[in-house]
Amino acid sequence: MLWNRNRTLWPMIAAPIVWAVHFCLTYWLGASSCAHLGSATPARIGIAIVTAIALGLIVFLGWRAWLRWDYRSDQDYVHDGPTTEDRRNFLGHAGWLLAMVSAIGVIFVALPAVFIRSCI
Amino acid sequence: MTDRNPQMHDIPDEEIGPQGIYPPTEEMLNEPVDPALQEAQRERLRAVWKQPQGWRYWSAVNNSEVGLWYTLTAFGFMLMAGVLALLMRVQLAVPDNDFLSADKFNQFFTMHGSAMMFLFAVPMFEAISILLLPAFLGARDMPFPRLSAYGYWCFLIGGIFVMGSLLFDVAPDSGWFMYPPLATKAEGPGSDIWLLGLSFIEIASIAAAVELIVGVIKCRPPGMRINLMPLYAWYVLVVGGMILFAFPPLIAGDFLFEMQRSFDWPFFDPERGGDPMLWQHLFWIFGHPEVYIIFLPSIAVAAMIVPTAAQRPIYGYSWIVLSAVGTGFLSFGLWVHHMFTTGLPSLSLGFFSAASQAVVIPTGVQLFAFVATLMVGKVRMIAPMQWIAGAVAVFTAGGLTGVMVAVAPFDWQVHDTYFIVAHLHYTIFGGMIFPIIGGIYYFYPFITKKKMSERLSRISFWLTFIGFNICFLPMHLTGLKGMPRRVYTYPGDVGWDVLNMISTVGAFVVASGILVFTWDLLRPKRNQDLTERNPWAAGTLEWAHDVPDPGWGVRSVPFVRSRYPLWQEDKIVERMDAGRFYIPDAPEGLRETVVTSAVDAVPQHVGRITGPTWCTIVAAIFTGGGFIFPTFHMYTPAVICALLAVTAVIWWLWTSTAQIPEKPMKDAGLGLSLPTYVSGPKALGWWGVFITMFGDATAFASLIFGVFFYWTARPDFPPEGAIHADPSFVALAAGLSAGSWAATRIARGVNRRGAVKSAQLLLGTAPLLAMGAAACLILSVQLAGLDPTSHVYPAMMWALVVWTCAHIAAGVIMQLYCLAGSFAGKLTPRYDADLWNTTLFWHFLGLTCLITAGMIGLLPRML
Repeated sequence: MLWNRNRTLWPMIAAPIVWAVHFCLTYWLGASSCAHLGSATPARIGIAIVTAIALGLIVFLGWRAWLRWDYRSDQDYVHDGPTTEDRRNFLGHAGWLLAMVSAIGVIFVALPAVFIRSCI
Repeated sequence: MTDRNPQMHDIPDEEIGPQGIYPPTEEMLNEPVDPALQEAQRERLRAVWKQPQGWRYWSAVNNSEVGLWYTLTAFGFMLMAGVLALLMRVQLAVPDNDFLSADKFNQFFTMHGSAMMFLFAVPMFEAISILLLPAFLGARDMPFPRLSAYGYWCFLIGGIFVMGSLLFDVAPDSGWFMYPPLATKAEGPGSDIWLLGLSFIEIASIAAAVELIVGVIKCRPPGMRINLMPLYAWYVLVVGGMILFAFPPLIAGDFLFEMQRSFDWPFFDPERGGDPMLWQHLFWIFGHPEVYIIFLPSIAVAAMIVPTAAQRPIYGYSWIVLSAVGTGFLSFGLWVHHMFTTGLPSLSLGFFSAASQAVVIPTGVQLFAFVATLMVGKVRMIAPMQWIAGAVAVFTAGGLTGVMVAVAPFDWQVHDTYFIVAHLHYTIFGGMIFPIIGGIYYFYPFITKKKMSERLSRISFWLTFIGFNICFLPMHLTGLKGMPRRVYTYPGDVGWDVLNMISTVGAFVVASGILVFTWDLLRPKRNQDLTERNPWAAGTLEWAHDVPDPGWGVRSVPFVRSRYPLWQEDKIVERMDAGRFYIPDAPEGLRETVVTSAVDAVPQHVGRITGPTWCTIVAAIFTGGGFIFPTFHMYTPAVICALLAVTAVIWWLWTSTAQIPEKPMKDAGLGLSLPTYVSGPKALGWWGVFITMFGDATAFASLIFGVFFYWTARPDFPPEGAIHADPSFVALAAGLSAGSWAATRIARGVNRRGAVKSAQLLLGTAPLLAMGAAACLILSVQLAGLDPTSHVYPAMMWALVVWTCAHIAAGVIMQLYCLAGSFAGKLTPRYDADLWNTTLFWHFLGLTCLITAGMIGLLPRML
């Protein structure tokens, strides 16, 4: 089953889901703050908060994926065996890589709020 | 090994779970199969998978036939759209030309873009996947063959309708993204043809996506765990998921747009509170992922060719999975980069600019993984590999200009100029056409058991590659010099004439290359010998297919233990041929495939799949009527057609799906006995409903997005003193729909426990409650006097009601279907898949009803 703990794809894509939620919130904060309050400051504060939360979550998910990858014990990064171990390590490896990309994505998307201070 | 389902506790274990030995031992695999038995099995399989002869050929639903028609049809539309491009290039070759009128030119560029996107690129992915995926997975067929056939016929009818409008001079002419107010105010049926014709095709696309996702998740061969899946399957999974999130917003947008065109509901009319920007958002939430939806599957073809050319496994499998999944996600954060010049706050632009830069990372990883594989392998420059190399070069160039236009200030300079035309053709031609042609050269021996010509491939490649660059490289400059796209002519004294002439010459060189390819593809090859079985010495399962093709896909479904079974597992082909593996026989005379668990591919069930039929064509024709008649405002025939389509689909489901098997278990081979009927999350149908409803929920979410969009963007949403929906009717609707939902869910449990009469009572009550809910929803807006033509606020409330009621209608049909099944003995306590699927549908529908009630009853009073 897709949901059972060790037989599931969800942890692998959890970090990109965090990225997606962060992206939607960032966009919504920017748009509504500019449209309704006429100032970017509330949006920038809100974005700082959601970015911190998102990065925290991604670090946590990435760490979990790193454990599942279990690279340090066997230095294996191919995972092409027909075993539960290989499948688990593979999902961990892919999840860890996705966590890295998601973290970069979150930081990228938050950067405009650092540099742009107005609603123009 | 059985992942038991808690709800199934009342059924004795021996009736539901797989029994016997899994995984098989080496001795079992080594044991020879009696040659006489092999021959008898072959005969039976051949009879079951025999394709219909004569005119009945068109009733085939097998993936190899449907996939082939689909591919050729999409290719035919591509050629037509290509001819339109050539005609436009002729018009633009010299300044002040009058070869085409402005109006014709508008129709041509609109149809060129629309056809390339909707009639070629996306359908081509589906077509190729339908054709190849079962073979990659060692499966006999797709999980829902009739659904593929239905999708194909819808595509064909819709495509002919949309393209045919060109012949009557009424084709859509507002550009392939149909911006309002130009498109809403356009005269003639052009915009309606676009909206309804393409919505029709989009539904076919979603059907294909559902089928492909279920295929990848549930139809892998035993042992092919998720870490062993061919990369193509990963891409199909990602792209199928993307289609489910990208197409529904467009369908929701089409729904609003058509309501404005037909009934004057002012969604995009600023004078009555509407906003044309909503269309741009919905369109590009679809439109940008769309680019990746067509790019990823093509690069997936490359991911199958590169290891074969390098004669070694792909380098960085996990990295490619990362890049496919990562690109799939990030590509949804880019849509506003098509809208940089619409005056959004620069803060908002910044987010999309940043995401547009970030998507380069996974895309780049993908290309580097290919290059690394080629570097560490011994490359044979086979013809397909040449096309892939061309693809990588052209796509990378397009990617680099993509990074440039992702920077908002640069985009402001070149927006809507030929620079963009150059950029998008570099990405799409490089990311789609080159790999697809390479893929056709590569897979042609698999599809037809003949070979295309190596020499013609090289001629075609160089003509296309050189012609492409002659045509599109100068366009960057034409754009930088300020030539806007979509103008039908230009004056001679602004320095654009030489560049345009070069582009036109290049376009004809490309056309000659494509023509050579087309000739090579279609030329008769009757006298040619059949190819050998694995002509490229590849490592994946599709090359295990027999030559000539007996139609059964695989002789027996293998037990797989590696990523490249043909390279890494001795004797696998021999054992497949001997029928040593799973379901080597068809004693019941039924088409079957092995259904396995989602992640570890543990065998769960022998899935019975459907065979040749005319009902898919009938259903497609009437579905077409339901979409095509409204284009001409002929609503009565449209309604009749829609009802007939529903009837045809019900007949199709009733006569061929969830049939009670002749025995509960069957011997699947290798000492394993599998159930012949499962319900709930182990069943293919359940997954089909689940995934479809995911897409449907996305469309509904897009409508909700619309409400919040208006609230954010417009000061008068809801307007001062607006009339709101009647709260008591809304509350009643919420209560009744929740009641219907609960009755359906309880009916499932009660039925499972054997209380058939109580279940029937509940299933009889549930539709009444649901119909009551629909009536209350309508009354809540009708009695309160919300006039949808007066302002966008009542229009939006009405749109939510219409959407929800249409779904309630479907929910009621499903409840009645189960009730009828229960009376007819088709649905019993043991065989209750339909009820599981209906309950699942109602989980989504119940939530939809409650959210709609909240949106029309509560939210406006709080805003």
